[in-house]
Amino acid sequence: MFANYLIGLREGLEAALVVSILIAYLVKTDNRAKLPLVWAGVAVAVVISVLFGAALTFTSQSLSFQAQEAFGGIMSIIAVGFVTWMIFWMRRTARGLSGELRTKMDAAINVGGVAVVIMAFIAVAREGLETSLFIWAAVQSTGSGSAPLIGATLGLATAVILGYLFYKGAVKINLSKFFTWTGFALILIAAGVLAYGVHDLQEAGILPGLSNVAWDATAAIPPSSWYGSLLKGIFNISPAPSILEVIVWFAYVIPVMYLFFRKPKPAKAAPAAPAPSVPADAGAADATAGEAVIATTETASTSSSK
Amino acid sequence: MRSFRTRSIIVVAGLAAIPALAACGSSSSSSSSASASASTSSSSITVTSTDTTCDISSNNLKAGSTVFAVTNKGSQVTEVYVYGKEGDSYSKTVAEVENIGPGTSRDLTADLAAGTYELACKPGQTGNGIRTTLTVTA
Repeated sequence: MFANYLIGLREGLEAALVVSILIAYLVKTDNRAKLPLVWAGVAVAVVISVLFGAALTFTSQSLSFQAQEAFGGIMSIIAVGFVTWMIFWMRRTARGLSGELRTKMDAAINVGGVAVVIMAFIAVAREGLETSLFIWAAVQSTGSGSAPLIGATLGLATAVILGYLFYKGAVKINLSKFFTWTGFALILIAAGVLAYGVHDLQEAGILPGLSNVAWDATAAIPPSSWYGSLLKGIFNISPAPSILEVIVWFAYVIPVMYLFFRKPKPAKAAPAAPAPSVPADAGAADATAGEAVIATTETASTSSSK
Repeated sequence: MRSFRTRSIIVVAGLAAIPALAACGSSSSSSSSASASASTSSSSITVTSTDTTCDISSNNLKAGSTVFAVTNKGSQVTEVYVYGKEGDSYSKTVAEVENIGPGTSRDLTADLAAGTYELACKPGQTGNGIRTTLTVTA
């Protein structure tokens, strides 16, 4: 039962975390009205995964493993694209926050709303089919005992609870810190997803190098242990990654971390902006500097970050 | 507000279509368009995977589509691979099924041409696995 529990936990964890980050973000930016859209994205992903998994389990229809891996790999890469967009959108948002920006902020969040729904959908759908097949197998086996299904369901439930606890903690910290820390976490999660996507494409034969393993830490972090499952579930850390996976992970983390955490360039006096009397101390976070943020893109922000 | 919501629904519905398109790429085990083999019947083999053994009902198969019904009777999560020959070793993944929880069963469908292969059960989902040789005759 424990082994099935760990798989349920692992499969559910990343989706639960990303969705709870999304929900925390909507709540903290006063956008509770958009929450039903997040649930809609999650629900559609769950329903599709359940139906697709049932079709593959109960009919003679089969998806070749190459097609399955290719699908997983492509979904993963699409997910990384969205998460990266979201990370930098959060960064821009964090820099420009101020009470006087409320109306412009609402407009900005409206645009983000659609992306938020897509993110909720992708977060669940990415691993959705794999999880669904695993759960349906557990359902099928209830004839010979319900331990697998109970274990798997408890694992998924634990993932949801952990996501909820994370949300509870996240809503308490101030907005700027929230954006910074969740951005950091999302970068690590996205890098793991990208490496996982590369691994899937290697398994599908689309990318080479599946057997060129960079290192083998399986003895230290067995995938069937609880800590191995947590690492895999949250950060997609595989104990024996291929060389390409490792390269891709660093190739993503290093530039993205740098771009995310670099100090914004000082605002050039935007010629188009209606002569805002920008204070000489460019480090001050105030509404006039904020207007420049909205007018241009991320390079113009000067507000304090912490 | 209303048009924003409608737009979102359209976007989500569009996204929902992606797996549907993937499904179009899936094949039914009785009509594999890529396979040129003359045999269209599917044979069924039972594989029982435990923590230490990988028992198979028959090592001799007919070419064509084969369904391996895998049951995990061990205590660890297992996965089953069919490896084809690549150079000197059997390392080319022809088919696989992973994440088989203890006490559950999953089917592995493989379209095999004549030749020799190795079936590997990997309890704990690591390592080279417990292997048996498969002989596929036309």
